Amino acid sequence: MIDQKIRTDVLIIGGGVCGLNAAITAREAGQSVTIMEKAVVERSGHIAGGVDHFLAYLNTDKAWDTREAYLQFTATSAKGATNLKVVENVYCDELEAAIQRFEDIKCTLKQPDGTYFRTQSYGQPGPWWINFNGKKMKPLLGKYARKSGCNILDRVVVGDLLVNDGQVCGAAGFNIRTGEFYVVQAKAVVVSTGGTNRLYQNPSGLSFSCWMCPANTGDGEAMALRAGAELANVEYLRMTVVPRAFSAAGLNALVGMGAKLVNGKGEEFMERYDTMGMNGPRYKLVEGVLGELKAHRGPVYMDCRHLEPKALKHLVTTLAYDKDTLPDYFEQKGLDLSRDLMEISTSEGMQGGPNEVCGSGVKIDHNCATNVRGLFAGGNSADQCRSLHMAVTSGLHAGRCASEYSKHFNGSSPSPSEKQIKSVKQRLFAPMNESRDLDWREFEDVLQKVLTEGMGPVRSKWSMEKAWQNLDLLDQWKNKVKAKNFHDLCRTQEVYNMMTVARCMITAAGYRKESRFGLCHNRLDYPEPDDANWLGQIAVRDEGDRIVPVFVPLNY
Amino acid sequence: MPAVIDQELCISCGKCDKSCPLDVIHFNLETEITEVIYPEECWHCGSCRQVCPEKAISIRFPLRILVCAGTSPY
Ligand SMILES: Cc1cc2nc3c(=O)[nH]c(=O)nc-3n(C[C@H](O)[C@H](O)[C@H](O)COP(=O)(O)OP(=O)(O)OC[C@H]3O[C@@H](n4cnc5c(N)ncnc54)[C@H](O)[C@@H]3O)c2cc1C
Ligand code: SF4
Ligand code: SF4
Repeated sequence: MIDQKIRTDVLIIGGGVCGLNAAITAREAGQSVTIMEKAVVERSGHIAGGVDHFLAYLNTDKAWDTREAYLQFTATSAKGATNLKVVENVYCDELEAAIQRFEDIKCTLKQPDGTYFRTQSYGQPGPWWINFNGKKMKPLLGKYARKSGCNILDRVVVGDLLVNDGQVCGAAGFNIRTGEFYVVQAKAVVVSTGGTNRLYQNPSGLSFSCWMCPANTGDGEAMALRAGAELANVEYLRMTVVPRAFSAAGLNALVGMGAKLVNGKGEEFMERYDTMGMNGPRYKLVEGVLGELKAHRGPVYMDCRHLEPKALKHLVTTLAYDKDTLPDYFEQKGLDLSRDLMEISTSEGMQGGPNEVCGSGVKIDHNCATNVRGLFAGGNSADQCRSLHMAVTSGLHAGRCASEYSKHFNGSSPSPSEKQIKSVKQRLFAPMNESRDLDWREFEDVLQKVLTEGMGPVRSKWSMEKAWQNLDLLDQWKNKVKAKNFHDLCRTQEVYNMMTVARCMITAAGYRKESRFGLCHNRLDYPEPDDANWLGQIAVRDEGDRIVPVFVPLNY
Repeated sequence: MPAVIDQELCISCGKCDKSCPLDVIHFNLETEITEVIYPEECWHCGSCRQVCPEKAISIRFPLRILVCAGTSPY
């Protein structure tokens, strides 16, 4: 099979919400754009099936509806993880253009009567969440990107970035159906592969039935790390509250519309865990549910029975925008929210930022640039970005800044070395070797068990050391993982990348000798937050034989 | 089985194959049959069902999700 070689100005890795927005913006800036996407862009990533909330302040006359209020909330709720200078440039400065982008792709944020329907949750000072019908958002965005002239390589999974003399100059990957090998040379590259999921055991026992998109497995973080980039905020564990054993999105809609958590005795219990009760941060809701279960006051339920019929109707409609199959779940369980309590529990864990306004992943500056020349990042794979609002704005911003960078080359730019291309190809296709015999599923299962046991909502030096030792053992089996076909080859790369992120997670969490953001980083051996010593991020980088943590202070 | 294709209704247009974020559904070029070939990798996102012009796809939740006993963290 002949390798495909392509040249482009700006290369986008991962055609999700962030990636497609970056691509469109780079086209508008006159750049040639290539997108490499694991699936097919019209229906790939987190919002393949739909989405329903967009977080925005709208500059009305209310004090909570301003840029200042947003920055104030971010500074307090994500203190020690969020970098306000980055947030200002990546979110606030792009918000207006982001709202316009929704109109451009014909996926309006408005209700049919032209108004915004806004709800409040997670400790935010006002109703910042615009409820909208995002069922078709991804197909519309994909279509728009195609029409704007992007070269889209669907079903091409990226295995590694190509680097020449400290400058990122492209990426290589393969088609997950045909195995065709692709080398794309670029002047600037945006990583937008959407975070790391599938890292923890799923309560249902079904690994792919997770809350966030199971196709996003830290590929971008791992390849950026190998290329010399730093990752940050990776020590934090993220969980949510879900219908029991079905990790569906939708908590925001439930809480925003006034649903209440109750225990087996019928008591509302959230006040015991947070002064804001049901309006507290997501990790507090998780803490409440776990607390009740631990005290054997479960089962725990979500109660919607008191909602007005109109509110309940809006809730059920918006839940189906967010998770298309929730109505089927209700139906197959015989559940009617106006009549029945819905049993809930906590989701699987995942590596993620502390809350809806702060992320984890590749460390970016105010230009979405990483510490490696030519490499940019955004969306859930960048340390400052989280949720739909930041996926869109960081996409716009990364597209803009990557285009500026690409333009400074004036013609010639570094090209990837044949030596690196050859070694990447060898590494990527190695699992096809006949002599291998370990199923990737078994490898993934063990990896998840190791993290669930040692890196959960309660961690300690000793639990993390044990997890690290287990990863060392698991490493000995790494070169036995086998792929029978190119679909499996993609999965094999995914579990390898998850393993890399797991190492980074343990390194950063072991280094941070305090607790922060409740159960997100809850150390038994250092139970209190310690702003005097730890107000800032842990950045990790790959120094060849080991992953090295560095503390980066933040000022507020 | 999560996404289930009713072969009686399916017209083998291949739209669902192109709409799955997890590469679960494949249109088999030789047999011209569209099949859910990696059911255990289904995310229950409903994307395939949304695009099917023949309403040939339904979502059937696995028992492990519907009857969820024994999954409590404590
Ligand atoms: C069901 C659901 C509902 C949600 N609802 C809301 C909501 O209402 N409001 C809100 O604010 N947030 C919501 N979120 C979160 C929000 O959708 C995400 O934060 C956002 O989509 C992140 O965008 P992204 O571009 O980083 O990731 P994605 O949109 O997932 O894009 C990542 C892309 O990268 C591709 N990819 C991954 N690895 C590779 C690789 N190695 N090579 C090539 N391509 C690769 C993936 O296939 C994917 O297309 C929801 C999430 C889910 C799962
Ligand atoms: S429900 Fe989603 S993940 Fe499952 S087969 Fe359909 S498109 Fe694929
Ligand atoms: S979209 Fe529907 S009709 Fe078309 S191949 Fe899939 S199941 Fe068959």
